[in-house]
Parts: sequence; structure tokens; C-alpha cells
Amino acid sequence: MSLKYGVMGLLAEESLHGYEVKNRFEAMLGGTWEVNIGQIYTTLQRLERDGLVRPAGPRGDRGKLLYELSPEGQKALKQWLAQPDSGPQQLHEDIYVKLLLATRIANGDLDGILARQKRAYLQRLRDLNRLEERARRDGRLDLARLVRGALLHTEADLKWIDELSSERFGAEGARTE
Amino acid sequence: MTAVLLKAIRDLRRRRLQAAVVFVTTLLAVGTGTIALTLIAQTSDPYQTAFEAQKGAHLVVDFDGKVDPGTLASTPGAIGASAFEGPYRATDMQFQSGGHKYTVTTIARDNPGGEVGQLRITGGRWPSSGNEIALTRSFADLNHVSIGDRLRVLSVPEEPILTVVGVVVDIDELRADVGGQQHAWVIESGFASLTTKGASFFQVDYRFAGDPTSAQLQADLDTLRASLPPDSITGSISYIFARTVFHISTEILTGVLVAFSVFALAATAAIVANLVTGIVISAYREIGIMKAVGFTPTQVIGVFVLQILVPTAAASVVGIPAAMVLSQPLLASNSQALGLAYQPSYSPVLGLLALAGAMLIVTVAAMIPAFRAGRLKPAIVIANASAPRGQSGRWLRRLASMARLPRPIVLGLGESAARPVRALLTLLAVILGVATVVVALGETRTFNEIYSYEGHVGKVDVAIAKSPALADADATQLINSQPETKRVVAQAFSNITAQGIADPVNTLTFRGDSAALGYLLTSGRWFSAPGEVVVNGGFLEDAHLKVGDTFTGTANGAALKLRIVGVVYDFTAGPGGHIMMLDWATLAAAVPDLSPSSYMVTLKPGSNVDAYVRRLAAAQPDLLDVQVATTGNTSFLSVIAVVLLAIAGLIALIAIAGVFNTVLLNTRERLRDTATLKTLGMSPRQMIAMVATSGGFLALVGGLIAVPAGVVVYRFLFDQLSALGGNTTPPVFYDVFATWELIVIPIVGVFVAVAAAAIPGRWAARTNVVEVLHAE
Amino acid sequence: MDRRAFFRTFRGGGGKNGMSELVRLSEVTKVYQGGITGALNGISVVVEKGEFAAIMGPSGSGKSTLLNLVAGLDRPSSGTVTVGGTDLGKLGEAGLARFRRDHIGFVFQFFYLLPNLTALENILIPAQLKGDAVPGRARELLEQLDIKAVADRYPARLSGGQQQRVAIARALINNPTLLLADEPTGALDTHTGDQVMELLGRLHRDGQTILLVTHDAKLATRHAARVISVMDGKIVDDARLESPERAASEVIRVRGEEVSR
Repeated sequence: MSLKYGVMGLLAEESLHGYEVKNRFEAMLGGTWEVNIGQIYTTLQRLERDGLVRPAGPRGDRGKLLYELSPEGQKALKQWLAQPDSGPQQLHEDIYVKLLLATRIANGDLDGILARQKRAYLQRLRDLNRLEERARRDGRLDLARLVRGALLHTEADLKWIDELSSERFGAEGARTE
Repeated sequence: MTAVLLKAIRDLRRRRLQAAVVFVTTLLAVGTGTIALTLIAQTSDPYQTAFEAQKGAHLVVDFDGKVDPGTLASTPGAIGASAFEGPYRATDMQFQSGGHKYTVTTIARDNPGGEVGQLRITGGRWPSSGNEIALTRSFADLNHVSIGDRLRVLSVPEEPILTVVGVVVDIDELRADVGGQQHAWVIESGFASLTTKGASFFQVDYRFAGDPTSAQLQADLDTLRASLPPDSITGSISYIFARTVFHISTEILTGVLVAFSVFALAATAAIVANLVTGIVISAYREIGIMKAVGFTPTQVIGVFVLQILVPTAAASVVGIPAAMVLSQPLLASNSQALGLAYQPSYSPVLGLLALAGAMLIVTVAAMIPAFRAGRLKPAIVIANASAPRGQSGRWLRRLASMARLPRPIVLGLGESAARPVRALLTLLAVILGVATVVVALGETRTFNEIYSYEGHVGKVDVAIAKSPALADADATQLINSQPETKRVVAQAFSNITAQGIADPVNTLTFRGDSAALGYLLTSGRWFSAPGEVVVNGGFLEDAHLKVGDTFTGTANGAALKLRIVGVVYDFTAGPGGHIMMLDWATLAAAVPDLSPSSYMVTLKPGSNVDAYVRRLAAAQPDLLDVQVATTGNTSFLSVIAVVLLAIAGLIALIAIAGVFNTVLLNTRERLRDTATLKTLGMSPRQMIAMVATSGGFLALVGGLIAVPAGVVVYRFLFDQLSALGGNTTPPVFYDVFATWELIVIPIVGVFVAVAAAAIPGRWAARTNVVEVLHAE
Repeated sequence: MDRRAFFRTFRGGGGKNGMSELVRLSEVTKVYQGGITGALNGISVVVEKGEFAAIMGPSGSGKSTLLNLVAGLDRPSSGTVTVGGTDLGKLGEAGLARFRRDHIGFVFQFFYLLPNLTALENILIPAQLKGDAVPGRARELLEQLDIKAVADRYPARLSGGQQQRVAIARALINNPTLLLADEPTGALDTHTGDQVMELLGRLHRDGQTILLVTHDAKLATRHAARVISVMDGKIVDDARLESPERAASEVIRVRGEEVSR
């Protein structure tokens, strides 16, 4: 869904043709989202079909067509921006599934999973920190903010892992006492 | 109220050290105050009791031996006395006992009872035969003469032996230890053998209805004098004079004690105020919480005041009875001098008064800072764990930094002034403590100085008392024949009547270089020509004369034209007493049989004084009493000195407690800073140095103020004391302190303060950094 | 560039090349009586010279205790703490004080500046305790930490960030072998905290060995390439993290929903 609105948002700034849309989109996301030109054209065609974008003028040399946002498109974009992200929480990461499995499977090595995951999260935090630093150094404040969000997410994940570890540790402690 | 009490008691348990400081300081202060109160309340009692019980004489008059005893029998009626006893025959008698020679006034009296001046026998019995004698108890005690001792009378050629059979109390004479010549009694049939012709006189005791005033007695004496031939009256003692002399040491003590207990209480109040301020400051957050849970401002104040009152009450409960017990020997000394069986008296009213006073002072001292706690806004105080600190120490620190002092010292200096009010209150305690020590030192020293002057210490090496039985020429010849003799001043006692003075004035007549005796003059000069006299301040005052005035004195019936050239500083005459000093040539014409009673001899440098004394004593073992010149009897002075120095010591202790308290409060409040400094690498030694400096500096400043202040107070008190004897203080008594002493006293104070401050310093050095910094 | 050179002068010997052991804890336990949390239970760890290591754990885990033991502020119940070859257990109180003064710089969460001393006076204290007069060096530190303008102010008149900078300058004045920081940003807002962390990172790049105690994983991984996790008095993890230059896409992947029909 957000590729669609991303394209619309870029076209709201100025009229662009397909290739320009791809480059601008990738630059905006600082290399965190790579799209192929086919996806862009498909998206543009669908938007045109729905009357949200329209060609701005005739097809130029080498068949390049400039797109611009239609009044309906502007309205839809405005609506989307105003609408908060609701809907179900999205957990993409395998660790959630791994955890569920490890507790079911005997000798699932939950401790090992947690410890390794913790390392991974720490490393990710380190990488994110460096990325944020770099973004700031490059003057990409918007990107830095994005990274910051990722940092906080990872921190939450790490806290979760720590909590799970101490829960298990506590249970063990209770048993040995 | 229950909540207030509960909180106060729980706080107390937590603040045991502070409670201990309050306890110790109030104990010392309340003790001093109670002793002073006890003395004030009781001074007049034993004497008055004894005076009434023994029907004491309001007036004792000595009449010349030539007066007809029959005539004397009519004198009581002439002055309206309600009762009288006498005339008794009396004589000055010298005797020897245990290697010492003494002079007493021996009175012929068959019966110790009577209408006036009863003698109370406290030991033994009344003499029943001619070779028995009764002495006064104060004389016997002072000179260690006991019942059964045998006295050899030296003042008559026959040298009869008398046995001491009784010890009595005579309410009508001056205390032996203050210097009065004491009475002794023999039965009438034994009297004749103890006196030479013309050496006896009459003594009559008069008692009036009610207690006559000094002026009334004066008028009575004038009436008597007018009704009798000239010079019939040779001496008199009024009960007022006797009473004043009796009380002089207690009075000096009481005066100084009152002053000192005010000092002690003021110092304690300063410490208490400091302490409560400290508690309020350190309990800032707690105060906020107390208010938040519903304590009213009054209740908050109550909690803090109660915390102080509990240890104060405890100190009073211990201190007041202890002080009452401790003051008993002082009270007892008065009763014992009167031969009264001393009944230890404990007045509950007085105890309650002392308790109330202590509580009141402490409450007021605690209230002022506690009010601050009562007024605090809860929100503000909860947010701030403790009161913000000022930067008052800044200038001091800057100054010290410029002096390139080590950092711990600089920090300590800054700390001492960080809370100005606390510093000032501590200074007050220190100043009071050090000043008291200075005053006590000065007073005791001048008492001794006075006696040194009286004894001509340094001017006269040997004092020789001559028996009337030995001719002046023989004695003089003997003394002058000694190779070591450098200078001899002969001294005779006599009486001269002066206009406007009721009693005949005790007169010292000197032969020889009397100026060399070194009598202290408060104004004018020593006499240098016949007709010139030196008198004491009391004489000038009562006779309404001044230096340079001329007046007429009567001696032996002859009128003498006398000019006052100087005022002598004198204590022997006692309060209200009079004394006159003049040259032999002035009196010799009027009194042809004037004979010295003593000789004051100065030896050539390097002479062996003891050998000289032994040789002279051996030459005339009976008729001369040869003694190395000393300061005389100073036992009552040493009592005063001990009490003064002891109390000064107590107040100094209070001051030390004050410094300790302040340093303790400072370090407690600065626990976090202390921990921080430890983290930064301040060594334990540097920490102790820092804390000790903060205490030592206060002591230094206090000492620098206290020493001159103490000298001023000493001078003031001594002026008061001089005034008792009608004197103005000669400058020499102002300078009893050596410069080095005035420097050493504050230095010692600083050392003591540093030592006291080092205790919390050591605690600070042992601070558990981890606990302090992580309790945040 | 001169700024880096400046910090290098504070490092005193050693260097990044040829890592050598600086701190060693062997089987350290610390038992507290009564209420105080933070006991340690058999900890062994080595910190190399030039490292920036973070000690991470929840409150009461013992991470501050570990720091206090390294600083010689506290003594272990058993085990040994060695810093720069010196066994701290062999030092007396005075020896520990000297050790802290000469080798340790300590930065606290609540700054702990002495309230009655100015910023500059605070900074100078450790040097003065040593007997050194180093006003010149203090002035340079003031400049480097950007607090020159407030040198003569009292702590009460400084912002939190300024106070912490003063505290860091105070910790650095004696060229400490080891800089210890206990939740240095805990009392600061995020932005000011970031600046303080940036400062610590700079110091580390210039060779300063730093031990940072924090409960915040974001801060722990900001500059520290090593994160030691402490929990209930034990080291539960000692992670040495890599710091290669990674492409953004290797670190974050933003992904929307599949294109809707």
C-alpha cells in the first residue's frame, strides 16, 4: 500500500516520469527499500486507471511520459496522510515463530536461541547507531529519524529477550532454592 | 499530640549523637546555673540564723582601759540598746603553739551565755580554771590548734602555759580566714596574769531591738564618743561589717558564678539553636512529608522542640541534683565557720526553678529555627532533600587560595563560613568559653597578686613580729647587727580618729624606707614628709575627702594636721573598712610610747634567708616571731580559684562541644560532597585536615575576639571587686596577663577545636561512598 | 584536527596498537548486608587498554557495584580486582585515594559537583588534591568541552548538560588511565544526553579507555564495541560487536504491503 502512496507523494511535489519516480523513491528511503522499474510502471498504470494520476502532456522523446497527481489523487493522498496506522501489529521476524516452536519441541534450546538472538539484536543496535550517525553526518535528518525508530524497535525486542531470559533464570533460581 | 510525641521520640532515637550533645551541654550549663542559684538563695541564711540564735551583738565597742567601768555600764541606756553584755576586760595576747606564734584578743569572761553575744561551744567546755583557754573554732581550724594543746603566752614576761579546753563560735567577730584578729577567752580570775599594765581594754557588746542600719550605728557611736572623755573608744565592729566580711568570699563567688552561668547558658542556647537549625536543614524532605501527611506548622515545631527538650529534661534531672550536692561543701563552709551543724538543704522549689529556667532557655533557642521548619512549603521541601547552601564561604576560600594553602585547608575554610548563622552561633559559644577562661585566669591571678602585695613579696624577705615584752631598741639592734640585713622597715599599729568616720581608723605607722615596701597606689604618691598620709579609697569616700585635702586626726588625745597625698589599694580593711598609712615622724610626737609590732627586713642579694630566719629566731626564741615573708593566708582564695577555674573549664567544654556539634552538622549535611571528594581521590588524611580546619578556623576567629573581650570583662569584674573594698583598680592589675599567654590561649583553643573536629573528620573519612552516592 | 591531537595528549602512554590488559576482575563476589541491592556473584572479566566497554543490566543487577570495585570505592567480599597491574586489595584507604586521584576519572549520573565551588574550581579539585597547579590545562579542557563561558559559575546556575561537561572535565584533569561513567546521561534529556555520549565517543577515539555503566542498550551500543551484560550479579553475556561500514539496506529494510490489486 505504501508504495502506491509513496509514488503519489512524489508526484504531488512535481511531475515525474517512471524512471525518475524510482530514483527519487529509493533516495528518499536512503537505500532501505529497493524497487524495480517494473513495479513502478505497474503502480503508475493502476493509479492512472483509478483516476488518481494522469499524464502531464504528450509522450516525450524516447517514449517518456510525465505523470502528475489528479485532483482526486490529491484528495486520496491527503486522506491517507491524515489516517493513523491502525490495524493488527505486524511481527515479521522469525524469532517469534522460533520461540513458539522451541517451547513445543523437546531440547529446543530456548536459552541458546535467546542468547544468540540477543547478540544479534545488540549487533543490530550497533549497526543502527552507526547508520544514524552516518545519516546525521550526511545531513539526512529524515533518515536519521527513521533509523531512530528502528533503534527503539530493536531496543524493545532486546528488552523482550532479556525479560524472557530473566523469567527462565528466575524459574531456575526458584527450583534450586 | 500523640503523633507529635511519637515522631519526636523516634527522631530522638535516630539522632542519638545530637541528643548526647544537647545532654552534655545542658548538663554543664544547668549545673553551673544551679550552683549559682543555690549560693544566691542561701548566702544570708546560716549567718542570720546563727546571729539570731546566739543573740549576736549589733555593735561591739572597744573602750580604752583607762575608762571607768562604772561609766560604761550607763552607755547602753545612752544609745538605747535593748541589751548589753560586758564590759569585759580584754587584751592582745601573743602565744606560741606548734612552732608558730599567734596574736589573739583575749577576753575575760566567766560565762559563755548571756543576753548578747552568746558563745556557742562546739567542742570541749568553757574554761573553769585560770590556766585554761577557749579559742574560736575558725581560728582553731585554720591554724590546726586542737583541744588539749598547750599554748605558751609570750606577751607577758612570766610566759604562763594555757591549755585549750574549748572551741566556740563567736558570731560577732571577723572570719579568721579573711584576716580578722580572733578572740579567745579565759575566766576573769585568770585574766590578770595574761596582761601587762596599760595593755588591757574594755569590750562591750550591744544589742538593739530590730536591726539598726549602718547610719544608726554610726550615730550611736558618735553619741558614745561625745559622752565619754576623748579617745575613750579605741575600736568597734558593727554586725553589718562582720556580716559583709563573713560573706565576702561567697559574694565574690556568687557574682562570678552568676556571670559564668549566664555565659554557660548563652553558649548552650547558641549550640541548641545550631543543632535545631541543623536538624531542620537535614530533615527538609521529612518536614515536607510530615506536612503532606497532615502535621500542622505548630505540630512540626513541636516535634523539633520536643526532640531537644527530652535530653534537656534528662540533663536537668541529672544535673540539678548533682549541682545541689556539689554546692553543699560551699554552703557548708559558711555554716562550719559558724560552728553550725550543717544541715544539707535541698530546696525543691529551687530545683524546679532551675529546671524551668533551663527548659525555657532551651525551648526559646530551639523555637527560632523550628519556626523555619513550621513555615516551609511542603512542595518545595519535598523537592529539595536538604536546604540549599549559601556561598558565604566564597570570599574566605578565595583569600585562602591566594595564600596558596593546600586545597583541603581551603575547602575547610570555606566550609566553616558556608552557613553564616551557624558560624556566628558557634563563634558565640567559642568566645564565651575562651573569654571565661581568660576571666577566670585573670581573677585568680589578681587575687594572688593582691596577697603578694600585702605580703610585700619581692620587696621584703623576712617578716618579724615582736612581742610587746621586747624593747624596740633591742629588737632593732639585733636585726641591724645581722650582716645580711639590708633594709629594715618597722611597722606599728594604732588608731587615729578622723572627722566623719565613726570607727577609729586603723593606722599603719612606718619607720624607715616605707616607700620601698611597694604598696600599690591608685592615685597620688607615697608620703615623704611628716604630716602626709596615704589612705584607702573607702576612707576618702566616707570622709568626703580627696587627694591633696588636709584633715584633722586625733591620736592619743592629740590633734594632728594630716594631708592626704595618695590613695593605697587595700583589701585588708575589708568592704567598708578604712586604713591610713603614715610616717613615724608624723605620729611619734603625739604617741610617745609608739612601739613597732613588726619589722620587715630586706636582705642583701644572695643571702641565705632560711639561715637568717633560724639565727634570729634562735636569738630571741620567745619574743620574736621570725618568718619568711609570704603571701600570707590564701586558703579562701584558693577555694575561689578552684571554683572559678573549674567552671571556666566547664564553659570551655561547652564551647568545644559547640565546635564539635557544628562540624558534625556540617559533615552530616555534606555527606554527599564528602563522598564525591573521596571519589575524586581525597585521602583520609586530607579529609580529616579539611574537616579539622573548618573547626579550627572558628576557634581561631573566636579566640582572637574572645581574648581581648575576656580581658575587658576581667577588668570590668575586677573593677567591681575593687569597688567592694572602696578601691579603684591600679593599672598593674589590669596587666596580669603576659603577652605570650594571650597568644597561647587562642592557639590552645585552636588545637583543642581541631582535635574535637577531627572526630567527625575521621567519620567523614570513613564515609561509605557507595551507600551515600547510591542512596540518591 | 587539533582537537584530536589535544585529546591524544590526555591519553598518557599505551595506545590502540598493541592492546594490553588494564582491568582484571577474578572471581569477584560482593555481598551486602541489609537492603542494599547490587551484589556480585563470582565475576571474572578483563578490560583492555583503549577499550570502550559498556556494562549493561537492569537496576540492582550489580553493574554499578562492578564499577565501584574497579574505582576502588568498594572492596570485594572475595576475589581480586587489578587495575594497571595493581591489586587494589593490597592498597590501604590512603593508597586507594591516591589510586583514584591518579588513575580514575569518575562521572556520575547526578554530576555530584561540589555546590559551593565554581565550575573551574570543581574541575581543579583532583589536581589540587594531588598538589598540581594546572590552571592552563583546566582552561584548555573548558574550551574543548565548550564550557569556558560558565567557568566561574556555581553549579546551581548551570544546565544539566553543562554540569555533566564540568564533571567530565573534572574526571579528565589528571589524565586518568581509566574513565568510569555511571549512567552519565541518566539525568539529562535525550538531546543533551546524546551530546555527552558524543563527547565520550570522541574521547575514546582519541585513545581513552572508558567503562560505561548503563541500563540503556541504545547508549551501550552507541560507541562501545563491547557490551557486557550483567544480571543478578553475574555476567550473562559479553558481546564483542563488529563495526564494519554497512549499507543501509543491510541494516534496515522498509517494506510496505504487496501492491494491492
